[in-house]
Amino acid sequence: MKPALAITTATVRQILGLRRAIIFGLAALAPALVFLLTSQALADEAALNRFLGMAVRLYFPLLVPIVALIMSASALGDERRDGTLSFLVLRPIPRSVISASKYVGAVLVAGVLNGFGAAALGIVYGIDTGSWGMVLPLVVGGLVASIVYAALFVPLGFFTDRAVLVGLAFVLIFENGVVSALSGLSSLSPWRLGLSAFSGLANGDVAPLLADDGLANLSGLGAALSWSIVFAVASVMAITLVLRRRDLA
Amino acid sequence: MTTNPALVESPTVEVDDVSKWFGQKVAVSNVTCSFGPGVTGLLGPNGAGKTTTLRMLTGLIRPSQGAIRVLGVWPRTSPSVYASVGLVPEEAAVYPAMTAREYVRYAATLSGVDDAAEATDRAIDTVALDDAADRKLAGYSKGMRQRAKVAAALVTDPQMLFLDEPLNGTDPVQRLHLINLFRRLGGEGRTIIVSSHILDEVDRMSDRVIAIVDGRLAAAGDVAAIRGAMSDIPYRVRVETDRERILAARLLEESLVHGVSVDDGVLHVETDDLAALGRRVPAVARDVGARITSFRPEDASLESVFRYLVRRR
Repeated sequence: MKPALAITTATVRQILGLRRAIIFGLAALAPALVFLLTSQALADEAALNRFLGMAVRLYFPLLVPIVALIMSASALGDERRDGTLSFLVLRPIPRSVISASKYVGAVLVAGVLNGFGAAALGIVYGIDTGSWGMVLPLVVGGLVASIVYAALFVPLGFFTDRAVLVGLAFVLIFENGVVSALSGLSSLSPWRLGLSAFSGLANGDVAPLLADDGLANLSGLGAALSWSIVFAVASVMAITLVLRRRDLA
Repeated sequence: MTTNPALVESPTVEVDDVSKWFGQKVAVSNVTCSFGPGVTGLLGPNGAGKTTTLRMLTGLIRPSQGAIRVLGVWPRTSPSVYASVGLVPEEAAVYPAMTAREYVRYAATLSGVDDAAEATDRAIDTVALDDAADRKLAGYSKGMRQRAKVAAALVTDPQMLFLDEPLNGTDPVQRLHLINLFRRLGGEGRTIIVSSHILDEVDRMSDRVIAIVDGRLAAAGDVAAIRGAMSDIPYRVRVETDRERILAARLLEESLVHGVSVDDGVLHVETDDLAALGRRVPAVARDVGARITSFRPEDASLESVFRYLVRRR
């Protein structure tokens, strides 16, 4: 347990320096700030639509993937580029512990930053409308999306130095382009899984308003959680396999 | 009793017909050797395949062909062996945001050292890094980083230490300190493998040399034995005497002398049999009334041996 905790802690420190924490912490506040500046004095229904607009157009498809991409790609990628991977793998610990710990570290950082952004947006909405029921669902949605994104981007960071570029192409072209056109692929879109979890946890008014956002093939929190577990397990197994089989220097 | 100088009696690390290629490029070719307690220098020019060999020994990369055993097992599939192994890689391999103490302690924790704090203090003390141990590694000089890496390798009290150019960037004082440290660890019965292209370093640290040139095992053994095995290259001896020309003419009559030359009043003699020449020169000098003030082999140093090995390829 000690080595796993040590690797996770070191990963968090490695990928979230003070400067990054400030920059991405401020970036996470963007949806809340935009909502705050544009939604004051709106009626409740209009405020809800505006809030969902922030979640569906800004928070889930842009903020969550970008934060998760940059943080997750660093988790193993930096170790490979800096030559510190040898420091890690030449230890008497199973490779599965290394890959799981790196993955958990990435999820923690991406999850906290995205959770912070979600909480801020939910709180601003609560202040505006007096309804606080959106905070928890949005945070959970952000966490689910972060779990799935980390599952994709941690291995991506290991394989290529251009992980951010490839990741952005995935988000902007595949998720926000292809999946938007082919809603049957929704379960391959991490932010839609997050949105699905949010929709499943939020009150009944929300789901019908999100019907056009590619959630038709997802059935709420249960499906989103199931998919996120599948992605997480597959990712850790893939990283473990790579650490066992590939040349590491 | 083995007669192959590349093999040792009680090996802790065995390399059996190992090759490694990256695409079309052959980095290491059919190397067979073994390592045991003491300091062994892995010697070769830049690009000779030393680092690739060392990386294969630690399991960082897999041989394309052949087998490697460390304490009887292939480390990749038996990671528990890493509890007995320390590596100081050539590349940076440090976490800039950590202090040296955190870095060494991290190594101790990952290796399951019981009292990580105490082991960390001890390792830092061993490399004389106490004063700077709580500074971030980002601000360290290259030499200090090297010492931090050595401390991280030593914190587990390893039975085996793999060192890839460990003295890079160190100043003369640090260098001497580390050389003495590695010699002491080798003297304690640990297997220390030091890769270097600096002949003087290898000469000062190692009891035994494995020379790799162009990815192939070029020679193995102690320096004198390697030189002795180069039967195609005659020894060159520098003789200082007051009657160099007369002695040169007389020595040419000796069958064991292949050639002589006089340069700036110094006589240079070439022979296949250094020991016989050492016995014969004083007798011949006596015959011609010459006084010998110095008799010294010119090419029995590691540098000369290495030059020959590289030139042969």
